[in-house]
Amino acid sequence: MKVGIISFAHGHANGYANALKQIDGVELYGIADEEEERGRQAADRFGSIYFADYQDLLKEPIDAVVVTSENQKHLEHVKAAAEHGKHILCEKPLSSNVQDAEEMIRVCKEKGVILQTAFPVRFNTPIQHAKKVIDSGELGNIVAIKGTNRGTNPGGWFVQKEKSGGGAVIDHTVHVVDIIRWFTKAEIVEVYAEIDDKLSDYEIDDTGLLTMEFDNGMFATLDCSWSRNKSFPTWGDVTLEIVGTNGTLSVDAFAQKMDVYHEDGVNWSFWGDNMDQGLVEDFVQTVRVKGRPSISGEDGLKALEAAMAAYQSSERKEAVAIKDL
Amino acid sequence: MNALVLGAGTMGNAHSAAYAKMEGVRLCGIVDVNEEKAKQLADRYGTQAFTSYQEAKQQIAAIDVVSVCLPTPLHKEMVMQVAEDKSHIVCEKPLARHLDDAREMIQYCQQQGVRLFVGHVVRFFPEYVQAKQVLDTEKIGQPVIARTTRGGAFPRASNDWYANFIKSGGVILDTVIHDFDFLRWCFGDVERVYAKTSRGRTAGSIEYALITLRFENGVIAHVEGTWAHQTFHTKLEIAGKDGIIQHDSSAVNPVVLEKKAQANEAAGVAVPSSPSKDNPYFLEIEHFIECIKEDKEPIVTAEDAYKAMEIALAALESIETRKPVYLTHSTDLEGVR
Repeated sequence: MKVGIISFAHGHANGYANALKQIDGVELYGIADEEEERGRQAADRFGSIYFADYQDLLKEPIDAVVVTSENQKHLEHVKAAAEHGKHILCEKPLSSNVQDAEEMIRVCKEKGVILQTAFPVRFNTPIQHAKKVIDSGELGNIVAIKGTNRGTNPGGWFVQKEKSGGGAVIDHTVHVVDIIRWFTKAEIVEVYAEIDDKLSDYEIDDTGLLTMEFDNGMFATLDCSWSRNKSFPTWGDVTLEIVGTNGTLSVDAFAQKMDVYHEDGVNWSFWGDNMDQGLVEDFVQTVRVKGRPSISGEDGLKALEAAMAAYQSSERKEAVAIKDL
Repeated sequence: MNALVLGAGTMGNAHSAAYAKMEGVRLCGIVDVNEEKAKQLADRYGTQAFTSYQEAKQQIAAIDVVSVCLPTPLHKEMVMQVAEDKSHIVCEKPLARHLDDAREMIQYCQQQGVRLFVGHVVRFFPEYVQAKQVLDTEKIGQPVIARTTRGGAFPRASNDWYANFIKSGGVILDTVIHDFDFLRWCFGDVERVYAKTSRGRTAGSIEYALITLRFENGVIAHVEGTWAHQTFHTKLEIAGKDGIIQHDSSAVNPVVLEKKAQANEAAGVAVPSSPSKDNPYFLEIEHFIECIKEDKEPIVTAEDAYKAMEIALAALESIETRKPVYLTHSTDLEGVR
C-alpha cells in the first residue's frame, strides 16, 4: 500500500509518518508541503519523495493520504484527495468550521472514499482499558464525567484564527468529547462555556471550560486550556474522572512516565504504548479491507460541533443547544 | 475563658480537641441530645456532658464562647439563643441553609454585641494558606484558571441529615462551600455561576457536582464536589500567566503504615497520615479566640461566610434554571430552597 502525507504544518504528521514506516507492506510514497524547506526535510527524514504541489502527489498511484495541514485547509485537501479517489486520514479537528466539515463528509461519501478522523487518544492503551471497564458495566450507570485536555500553547498557525478557526477550545475540545461519546454512546445536547485569552499575549482563546448535557441524562465538564507553561514537566494531559452509580473510574492517559531531572529542571518521560501507531495501523487496515472507519467523519463533526457550541455559548453567555448551531 | 461545644459529631470532636489543648481556654462542657455520645466526648477531654444547651447554661456560671457543631438546619436557632445569652459564637459552615437566615444571624449577633465566627477552616490549612501566599507574591503572574476538588464518601451522620437536601443543601452548600470561600479569598467576588449535579438524576447515596465560576477579575474556576468517591481528598490548581500552583492531598503521604495481613484478611490496610503539630481546626479556633481577646478582625468574617453561601446558592439556582446565575442579583437567590 502506498500512502502520502499532505503537509507537515501539524506536528502530528511526524508521529503518523513514523507509524507508517513501522507497518509491513506500507510505503510512505510522498510528502507534499507548500513550505518547501519543511517538506524536503520531512521527505529526507522519512526516506520519501517531496512534492511541492499536493495535486501532483494525488496524481501518483497512492491508495491513501494523511492530511495534516492547517485546520482551515482540510476542506481543500480532503476534497482534492477524494476527487482523486484516495482514502483519507484527516487530522483533528476535522475542520475549522462545521460547514466545511459537513462538505468533507459529503464529498467523501459521494466519491466512495474512506474519511477517518485522527483521534489517536482512542488508541491510548489506558483509555482502551477504561473503555473495557465501562463496557463491563462495573461502574453502573454513568452519571457524570470530568475531563481535562490541557496543553502548552503551540504558537505558529494554531494562534492565527484564519488558519486554525480558533485556539485552545477548537484544538483541545475534540479529543475528550470524542472519548466521552465513544465511552458512553451518548450525544451532547447542550454546551455552556467560559472562554478567555489571558494565559498568553496572543489574541486567541487559550482558556476554556465547557459544561455539557448529554441525551442520556449525564453531564460532563472539560478543561481544554493551554494552561501548561514552559516549565511544566510535560506537554499536557488527557484525564477523565468517570462517576457511575456503582463507583468511580479515574483515567490519566499519560501517567505512564518517569521523572527525568537535569539542568533545565524535571521532565516527564512517557514510556507507555504509542497511540499514533494504533491509529495509523487501524486506518491502514480499514483501507486494506475497504471497511468502515472506526472513527468516522461524522465522529469528527460531532466533536467539532461541541467546540463551536462552546464559542457561541461564551459569546452569548448562555447554554447553547447543539440543534440550534 | 469557658468554651462550650454543641454537638458531639465529627466537628464537635475537632472543636473539643482544640479547646482542650488551648492555653487560656477551659472546655467547660459538651452538649448532645445523644447522651452517650456527649459523655464519651466529655470523658475523653475531662469535661461535663449535657443533653441540652439549657442544662449546660444552668450549670456553668459563665460561658464565654460556644461552638455550634450541629447539623446546618439547627444553626440558626442555636446561634440566636447563644447570642441572646451574650456568649461569642463559633459556628460550623455553612452558616445557614438560607441567606435570609444567615443575614438575620449576623445582624442579631451584631445587635447583641457578640462575635460570630464561621468555620471556614480551609483558610487555616497550611497548603491552602501557602497557595494564597505564593499567589500574592505574583510568582505565577496574573491568575487565569483555577481548579479545585473536595470530597470523598457520602457523609453519614445523625438521622442521615446530609442525605436530606432540604436540610443540608447537598455537597455544594455543605462541602465545596470551603472552596468557594477559598477562591473568593484569592480572587475576590464572583460575577456568575454555572453548575450541574447528579442529584435528581440518579437514586442512591451519591452526589457529584461540577461548578464553573467566573470572577469579577476575570478568573475562571472549576469546582468539583464529590460524595461519590471512597476516600476524602482535596486538590487545588491555579494556572497563571507565568506559572502554576498544584496541590493534591492524595499525593501527600509523609507517613504510611502498612500492617501485615491478619489470618482472616486478604491483605493489610495501608494507613497514610500527614501529621502537623497543630491541626487546622486548632489554628482556626485559636485565631478566633485571639480575635475575641484582642478585639481583632478575623481572617474569615461572618460576611465572608455569607458571600460563600451566596455562591453556593447561586450554583443551586443554576442547576434548577440551567442558566448562569449572576451574583449581582443576589436578592433573587432567597427563592432557592
